[in-house]
Amino acid sequence: MAERQSPERQSPERQLPEHLSPLEPALHPGSHGNFEHGVDVILSETKPGSILQLAAWPGEEKQLISGIRTVTGLTLPDGAGGGSTNGVRSVFGFAPGKFTVVDEAEGLALAFADVVTPAIGTLTDLSHGRTAIRIAGPKAEWVLAKFFAIDFALPAFPLGAGRSTNHHDIFAQIQRTGADQFDIYVFRSFARSFWKALCHASEEVGYEVQ
Amino acid sequence: MLITCPYCGPRDVIEFTYQGDGNRQRPQPASQDLDAWNAYVYERLNPAGDHNEIWQHSGGCRAHLKVVRNTLTHEISSAAFARGDHKSGARHKAEGKS
Amino acid sequence: MSPRRTETGGRIDRLRTIRFTFDGASYTGHAGDTLASALLASGVTLFGRSFKYHRPRGLLTAGVEEPNALVTVLRGEVREPNIPATMVEIYDGLTAVSQNRFPSLAWDVSAVNQLGGKLLSAGFYYKTFMGPAIGPLKGTRFWMFCEHFIRRAAGLGRAGLAPDTARYGRMNAFCDVLVVGSGPAGLMAAKAAADQGARVILAELEPHFGGSANWSGETIDGMPAADWAARTAGQFEGHDNVRLLPRTTVWGYYDGNTLAALERVTDHKEIPGRGEPRHRYWAIRAKSVVLATGSFERPLVFPGNDRPGVMLAHAAERYANEYGVLPGERIALFTNNDSAYRSAVALKKAGAAIVAIIDVRPELSSEMRKLATKAEAEIFSGHAVVATEGGKALSGIKLQRFDMTSGALSGEARSVHADCLLMSGGWSPTIHLASQAGARAVWDAARQAFLPPKPTQRWIGAGAFTGSFSTTEAIAEGRAAGLSAAGGTNTQSTVPVVEAAPGDPDPAPVFEIKASGKSFVDFQHDVTAEDVRLAHREGFVSVEHLKRYTTLGMATDQGKSSNIPGLAIMAEALGKPIPEVGTTRFRPPFTAVSIGSLAAERFGDLKPERLTPMHDWHVANGATMYSAGLWYRPMIYGLAGETIEQAYVREAKATRESAGIVDVSTLGKIAVQGPDAAEFLDRVYTNMFSTLPVGKARYGLMLREDGIAFDDGTTWRLGEQDFLMTTTTANAGKVMQHLEYFLDVIWPELKVHVTSVTDQWAGAAIGGPKARAILATCVTGTAVDNAALPFMGIVHGKVAGVPVMICRLSFSGEMAFEVYCGAGYGTHVWEALIDAGKPFGLVTYGLEALGTLRIEKGHVTGAEIDGRTTARDLHLDWMLSKKKPFIGSAMMDREGLIAPDRLQLVGLISLDNRPPSGGAHVVEQLDEANPHDSIGHITACCYSPALGKYIALALVKGGKQRHGTRAYVSDPLRNRFGPIEIVSNHFFDPDGSRMHG
Repeated sequence: MAERQSPERQSPERQLPEHLSPLEPALHPGSHGNFEHGVDVILSETKPGSILQLAAWPGEEKQLISGIRTVTGLTLPDGAGGGSTNGVRSVFGFAPGKFTVVDEAEGLALAFADVVTPAIGTLTDLSHGRTAIRIAGPKAEWVLAKFFAIDFALPAFPLGAGRSTNHHDIFAQIQRTGADQFDIYVFRSFARSFWKALCHASEEVGYEVQ
Repeated sequence: MLITCPYCGPRDVIEFTYQGDGNRQRPQPASQDLDAWNAYVYERLNPAGDHNEIWQHSGGCRAHLKVVRNTLTHEISSAAFARGDHKSGARHKAEGKS
Repeated sequence: MSPRRTETGGRIDRLRTIRFTFDGASYTGHAGDTLASALLASGVTLFGRSFKYHRPRGLLTAGVEEPNALVTVLRGEVREPNIPATMVEIYDGLTAVSQNRFPSLAWDVSAVNQLGGKLLSAGFYYKTFMGPAIGPLKGTRFWMFCEHFIRRAAGLGRAGLAPDTARYGRMNAFCDVLVVGSGPAGLMAAKAAADQGARVILAELEPHFGGSANWSGETIDGMPAADWAARTAGQFEGHDNVRLLPRTTVWGYYDGNTLAALERVTDHKEIPGRGEPRHRYWAIRAKSVVLATGSFERPLVFPGNDRPGVMLAHAAERYANEYGVLPGERIALFTNNDSAYRSAVALKKAGAAIVAIIDVRPELSSEMRKLATKAEAEIFSGHAVVATEGGKALSGIKLQRFDMTSGALSGEARSVHADCLLMSGGWSPTIHLASQAGARAVWDAARQAFLPPKPTQRWIGAGAFTGSFSTTEAIAEGRAAGLSAAGGTNTQSTVPVVEAAPGDPDPAPVFEIKASGKSFVDFQHDVTAEDVRLAHREGFVSVEHLKRYTTLGMATDQGKSSNIPGLAIMAEALGKPIPEVGTTRFRPPFTAVSIGSLAAERFGDLKPERLTPMHDWHVANGATMYSAGLWYRPMIYGLAGETIEQAYVREAKATRESAGIVDVSTLGKIAVQGPDAAEFLDRVYTNMFSTLPVGKARYGLMLREDGIAFDDGTTWRLGEQDFLMTTTTANAGKVMQHLEYFLDVIWPELKVHVTSVTDQWAGAAIGGPKARAILATCVTGTAVDNAALPFMGIVHGKVAGVPVMICRLSFSGEMAFEVYCGAGYGTHVWEALIDAGKPFGLVTYGLEALGTLRIEKGHVTGAEIDGRTTARDLHLDWMLSKKKPFIGSAMMDREGLIAPDRLQLVGLISLDNRPPSGGAHVVEQLDEANPHDSIGHITACCYSPALGKYIALALVKGGKQRHGTRAYVSDPLRNRFGPIEIVSNHFFDPDGSRMHG
């Protein structure tokens, strides 16, 4: 059932055009803001090929976690909001029994089709529906703290962990993918708006867009 | 005001949506007892003190919570998943003080 | 050398000269000066005019509590009024002006108000402007008439009209320990907590850390207290776990130990850094808070206590020690406590002559006598000041013998020549934040002050805030508070040693000297002791009423210096002890907060907006965009010279004649998945979904629990356990919450997941007689003929190599298809469809044409599903299944919801060939002069190219019964009246032959 949610259900063929980024006209590579003394954050769009939401029925969470390990090779640590990343694939919990799984490559939904059976839960392909924005650098926590009322300090928000939060109407899932690096998943329709606000907020520390 | 979401931890009230009096009992779907429906749809307790409430963590994990909140002090004495079967996902215990 | 600057001393940088202007005149000061200290150093004594009487006023204080010296700071066209000059750090090019004076500060015409002082007493406005009971100015009209003139004369600073172009920021912060205030107590608390490894934020409202240490002249650990403070604060630099926030006022203490603070990031800078906000609003969530906010010195209430040159004792000490400025050459002090003696010694040391110390207490300790001797001051114990002399500056004072117990004055008045009078009426702990946090302050008879209550949230007090006024106590309490807040235990370690002047912290209980003349309690609002007594005589008993009637403590300084004297005078008038009169509860903010900081990053370009995948195409192709909620959607794709009506009529007409395409990506889309998905939809929708075959879609209607219509849309069955629900654009979020609520709270046993996939799909609706032909030329991998794709059928195929899902459904009433693809391919597919449509005359159409097509068909939207209408009102009762219960089914048949005279959906045709107006009323009898008896209202209207008429949808009483009858549109607001005919809402192709093909 689940793969029907995927636009790639016919099989991901090579001749498909590139996904058009919602950020395009607002994405200006180079250094900006107060950068004369160095840039303190780097902003980029990571454009993963696959962004999936996996959700287990109550009691089936462990099965799903084990399925995620089988497919991605990533082990989920215990507890709410736990996650991990290997630089190519990432996974984190964002709600009870619910996980976001991300892969650089397209077609991850197909790989899960046999793993997430109706008995375990559901799979929803959000590869087009969410935009992944990365913020990295010594002031990444500072800039994000302007938007989100959650604690970004490493002890409170460990490496690999995920958080669901929002900034005004913009819902965001955030994963820490490095000591000073975060990947933010926002709804595609809000992405440009959020990106502009992120650039604006980064001006005082100096930022580079890659 | 902070609400300690069992999944996400303490979060500001702006991340939550109030979803009504938690004391309401929905009649069976096929029930024709209009008085019971009337009570469910319209009648609300309005206590000065502890109150059972349903809040959705709409700006977070989107789970619904059963919250006991003191309407005089905003003190939240408990916040638990509305679904009993989410226990496995719980990380945070509601703190005694809001 | 400026007239009042001392030769040496102070913590200013004398090598750096800064130039600024005040009221157009140029002045200089030094780095480290405030506007107040720099002007005082230049010999300025007159800083402003008082609120009501326009009396000349000078500096009363040296800090945040300043009630008199309010100025307006200009930055370009932007003016910010009512800033205490004591809080303005000077920078090159600073431009400040005084307030509440006309035409100039020195010569002010409204000062004549002083002569009519009796008229402007407490409650003046309430009493005078009640107006007569009858006549043209009856009641409040008289006030409204007078208000214009009063507003011009009264008030403080004037706000500017130019938009504030400054940038404001917001920051969320988390810490283990927030320390508010950085005097010796706060510094020790921060240090102790930081040493425990706690995450600490230290907030100080002044530019420099140290608080009283910066001017007390005391010695800590063998070095000047100011050096000790600088060294201690310096040790925090480079500590990862300590965040230092200078120029940051913690102004609110809220539930959950959440505190609000305002950081003035660039107000002291000539040119802000790039991207730097002017102010930053800090929302701080602290596990524990150490309140080390110190205390405010109180004025004494006596005639002429507001004359320029009368100042608080510690303020003068601070000007001398911190800024190297002497507020006078011949200084007298008037006190009810010991702390003023230290001030006397400090000022003597700085070079002033101390001409007299007037103390209300008959007996003085030998220590105080020693300090007076050191200051070479003559002591007048058991005396009080009864008058001050001079105009815009003090020239002398008058004293009389004073009996502290009875308050009686006796003997001959004696004159003392002085150009500065310092007063000290004791000290009030700055308990504002503790009071905001929830509990009532406690009166301490010895300290004659309200002390902080028992904590109701997680805070610990330290230092003068707790009533412990000595630095030795502050250091010990600060350290203990910091340790405790960080969860550490007290270990034996060396505590800094303090050398300070001795002094008893308890003042004599004297607040007022009753003698003739105006004795001010609230300097900023011009409330006198007599006003307070008048309020009592007029029957005001409660301190809250007193405050509102006299406006005592209601000015921008919120009574920081006036509250306790006012309360004491009220208590005496009532014949009650102070604690029985009580104090008002402090509310946020502690000091004025810029509105910009509260709205930071939430307005203008930073307001969130939602864009569809084809947004840029629409803009590039001439669409006029329209904001629908947060979404931006094309309204029309106008051609050169077209009006909006011409454009949408052309678009709608072309759609009915050949084909049109519209971006429907904004429709809410919810994936409903799981074994119980069909069952769930049966409960949620009024009609059946479990019977829907895979590969088909169905139109569905949802009700609320109370039986009122909630939302409609089509739901597509993509798999046995896999549905794609669509909702109206506006209700997408509400429907999602509705579904989540039922799954989480009411039916947790159902195995269903709902996920918002609105943004996953780009959607294009293509409709019209040529729509199928267009698709046939560009869709591969599937046929689109009637057999493969019947009405409400779904097929999967490709357009331009991109996988698409096509459902044949219609909102326009034409043969129409919705083509969905991954959002990242949206523009690609959209362009391919448009290319394919070119030979067929395909047009793009916007919201206006979309609305026109649906009005012609009589389809409902949010304008009709308005939260008051039922399915029956909208003629959707055919959708109410009788085979199953659903949300709202039990309540929908209640008497009031099935009454025959309910507002029901109808169509209207304009009979005067003019557009009816949306929202206008429908009436049976036209009465333009006195419109009445509405029978309903118009929900939507347009020019219908299909009918060649202006038409509308409306909700009208009795609905169907009125088909074929005449009525009138009545819209007095827009002056639109005219005849209409009531018809069926299905104007066009009522049997749907075009859609079914």
